Amino acid sequence: MKKRLTKLASLGFVATMCVGLLAGCGGGSSDGGSSSGKTEIAFGIWDENQRPAMEDLVAAYEEENPDVKVNIELTPYSGGEYWTKLEAAAGGGTAPDVFWINVLHLDSYVDGGILADMTDAIAESDINDAYSETLVQNYVRDDVNYAVPKDFDTNALWYNKEMFDAAGVAYPTDDMTYDDFVALCAELKDKLPEGVYPFVCPVDFQTWYYQTVYANGGWIISEDGTETGYDDPKTQEGIQCWIDLIDEGYAPSAATVAETGSDAMFQGEQVAMTFAGSYMVPEYANNDAVAEKIDCVEIPTYNDIEDNCINGLGYAVYEGSKNKDAAIDFAIWLGSKDAQDIQGESGVVISARTESQHLFAEAKPEYNLAAYTNHADVAYPLPMGGTKTAEIYDLESTWLTKAYTGEMSLADACAGLKEEADALLAE
Amino acid sequence: MAQKSAVAARAPKKKASSWQKRDWVAAYIFIAPVTLGLLVFYIWPFFQNIWFSFNDVNKFNMSTFVGLENYIKLFSDKEVWKAFGNSLKYVVITVPAGLFLSIFIAALMNAKIRGKSIYRTLYFLPSVTMSAAVAMVWKWIYNEQMGILNTAIKAAGGSGHAWLTSPSTALYCIMLVGLWMTVGYNMIILLAGMQGISVTYYEAAALDGAGPIQQFFKITIPMLTPTIFFVLITSIISGFQVFDTIYMMIGKTNPAYDDTQTVVMLFYRQAFDYGYKGYAAAISLFIFIVIMIVTVIQLIGQKKWVNYD
Repeated sequence: MKKRLTKLASLGFVATMCVGLLAGCGGGSSDGGSSSGKTEIAFGIWDENQRPAMEDLVAAYEEENPDVKVNIELTPYSGGEYWTKLEAAAGGGTAPDVFWINVLHLDSYVDGGILADMTDAIAESDINDAYSETLVQNYVRDDVNYAVPKDFDTNALWYNKEMFDAAGVAYPTDDMTYDDFVALCAELKDKLPEGVYPFVCPVDFQTWYYQTVYANGGWIISEDGTETGYDDPKTQEGIQCWIDLIDEGYAPSAATVAETGSDAMFQGEQVAMTFAGSYMVPEYANNDAVAEKIDCVEIPTYNDIEDNCINGLGYAVYEGSKNKDAAIDFAIWLGSKDAQDIQGESGVVISARTESQHLFAEAKPEYNLAAYTNHADVAYPLPMGGTKTAEIYDLESTWLTKAYTGEMSLADACAGLKEEADALLAE
Repeated sequence: MAQKSAVAARAPKKKASSWQKRDWVAAYIFIAPVTLGLLVFYIWPFFQNIWFSFNDVNKFNMSTFVGLENYIKLFSDKEVWKAFGNSLKYVVITVPAGLFLSIFIAALMNAKIRGKSIYRTLYFLPSVTMSAAVAMVWKWIYNEQMGILNTAIKAAGGSGHAWLTSPSTALYCIMLVGLWMTVGYNMIILLAGMQGISVTYYEAAALDGAGPIQQFFKITIPMLTPTIFFVLITSIISGFQVFDTIYMMIGKTNPAYDDTQTVVMLFYRQAFDYGYKGYAAAISLFIFIVIMIVTVIQLIGQKKWVNYD
């Protein structure tokens, strides 16, 4: 009898484990209605800094729509984890119903048939009127809208006031040119403590060299997407101007920056100035070691042109969603004034809706955050190579790193880069 | 789980056959979770991977048959050979070094010294630590600007070095981390092997006047060869599969990127960064075949040096 009991108990144990195993496999999302009879929507995001704002949005939406329950699913962006998981889930039919997408990944997702057509829903809403055309068009392919603009990011020049005070140098200003900026670096160089640099130049396209490449009349990918412009001297000048700062000793070596990262060096007070995207503001503002010592101004002009790069996110709906209508309804609501204001008031990102943009600067009055939005209307969108975009950016960073470290000249690196990138586009 | 089922299957020899059958059923139920897990997560994906390698599979797992195209691309891809060279370098250096180090430490742990269990725990600790966490810590130790290694060198009057960003040192620095992580585990296995050697051999040798050094080389090492063989095979396999430390420690803009990229890194990048899952499947099958050939050679070669009593 006793033996049988033990056997029964162990059988029960094994059964539980098996069920657990199976449940672990099937634990996807978009399972349709729940036991409470509500429509459930899974909402995929990647930024922990933005989670509170997203939770506020969900709470506001659920209050208006008591029959809907939205579950936030956060997967970190770093190392491509978000996309890896999303792609696997989309392939297996269990992607979140509504999820963040950026312009960089849009083409491959459209190509893979993962994104729902939102053209009609957007046309019925006020989105086409309330948003700048550039931001809406970012998510349009072949006249089909694939996402509602969520936010955008631009860049600004951040500086450490305490280090400028100690060096006795005047702070940077909103109206500096690139030449003023180089002069400022030269002035700072000898007045900063040993081992501290005026500026930092990582091999970074969006926040550093694309801005000067475009302001200089250079180009990266041709409009028809068949050729790259790395061999154009104008393109190379826009990159070389940052390598020059490293060669002059105004910025640490490429190897050092690759290891530590420009943001960590700025927050570790090893550099007096850096460029940073608006998405970095929450991190800077929450770092007690430097939060009160720093401020920002506009990116210096190049050739008298306001140069800034703009990138952004949108809310997309999964084509295979079991609650597609409810998901589209939620995504459209996320583009409404109410939703964009809630997001803007959190001060974490710049809301895409034109009338909500100013909230970003107002949320943290201690910083000159208007530097991010002042010229957003003329900022350059990122170049697109269709489904090959991610690969081209990787090639670009590999080859340009060789020029930044001085292993080869920029002209040689660009020649090698163009050959490989053009071959990739031709595939 | 596997051990329990072995006991269950062996125990009732003289019982009625219905009892025996019931025990078999129980045994199968006991091994079911592991077997199911193996089938679902290892064996089925393995065959699926072979199929993928003959297809063009995109990010979202939609595939079209392309025959041998992935393999043709693989053999003409310079990056594959470079990465394979890096992997080979990693194996050729870390495996012998790791083996000598673990035998040496295991021999020390086997001796009568004070606080032995503390040392054993310390050496084994890296093996139970998550490798991602280990890599993060070592990344900061090696950091050129703020790392403790350079700080110590500078305090001693040296000039420091860009450990992880110099193409000449990066891979060796990663090897050191790999060694640090695996020596403890191999040491425990070798130690168990040493303790399985009967004391009578040593007593007889001592009577004949053999010293501890002679005993070590004439008794311990020959008697330990089956264990050494096991450690050798497992460390060569895991050496070819090195991925996590490199993935965590070397970024895309690191100047040493090309010199530290291993085949598994390349596989990961092709599959998950670029979305060429068919090509990545071909790369992983290639790694599998290489490991299989190396292992078969070892299995044949072992007859010459492994001593089973």
